[in-house]
Amino acid sequence: MDDKDREIIRLLQGDFPLTPEPYRAIGDKLWLDEMSVISRIAKLIQTGVIRHFGPFFDSRKLGYTGALIAMEVPEHKLEDVIDLVNSYDEITHNYLRDGKPNMWFTVIARDAARRDQILDEIRANSGIQDILVFPSRRLFKVRVDLD
Amino acid sequence: MAEMSIKERNLLKELEGGFKLERSPFKRIARELGYTENEVIETIKKFRDSGVIRRIGIAVRPERIGQSSNALVIWEVPADRVEEVGAVMAARQEISHCYDRETPIGWTGNLFTMVHAKEEAHLTNILNELTEATGLHPVKILRTVRELKKTSMRYFTQEEDES
Repeated sequence: MDDKDREIIRLLQGDFPLTPEPYRAIGDKLWLDEMSVISRIAKLIQTGVIRHFGPFFDSRKLGYTGALIAMEVPEHKLEDVIDLVNSYDEITHNYLRDGKPNMWFTVIARDAARRDQILDEIRANSGIQDILVFPSRRLFKVRVDLD
Repeated sequence: MAEMSIKERNLLKELEGGFKLERSPFKRIARELGYTENEVIETIKKFRDSGVIRRIGIAVRPERIGQSSNALVIWEVPADRVEEVGAVMAARQEISHCYDRETPIGWTGNLFTMVHAKEEAHLTNILNELTEATGLHPVKILRTVRELKKTSMRYFTQEEDES
């Protein structure tokens, strides 16, 4: 990754140009031609630096409900529970953390009933009854480039 | 729930799949979905202005840009200080997410922050500065051990649609 790549990343963390030739518009700001911008972005996607490239929707404006969930998973069940939890499309982020509880994930569901259904299935299939639900009360910040 | 036509849903579904790297993306989309190029651009702007689209651009993997000591840090903040402390946390460049959350009975800590640091010593420094600024100590510091899943939610694309 060189300075031009970093500049492209910085620009794409702001707003993508909504013009007929957006890559040309980006290139004009960085003294790069259109095809260089496209090939650099392709490489950043290919190497995994860029995880997603496109619009980010506001789940609440689309009527969805989100919550952070935590559960303590014993070592011997870990890989099975990871597969189980990760199998839901509505669970978009999942992290193993040090301390207790050790597994933290986010659920975005079309309503609370669907969220509770997912959590009931996870309880039934993991044998872990104690699942902690933390619905958001007030959002102070979601930093755009890391969401 | 935001109102939208089937044609608009189809456009959002196309965009949800991620941008393809092509010189005139909106012209190709317009041709495929029965819009003009200008209508595609104006419709995207409409959803962006109404907030249905929060932003258009990229998400990066933090560990690939040199942030390796990441932690979920939880603070116990009394209701009458949540606005003040939340604003202090949100202003920090190293904090990517800050939420006040409802908590289950018996749980301590309502303000959830994601802190991204270069290394352990940097994380300690950030937390010390936050303690100095707010008078509060973290009640839990849960470092990221392993990223198990990180995807973007699909709102318009059902699994059976994916080819």
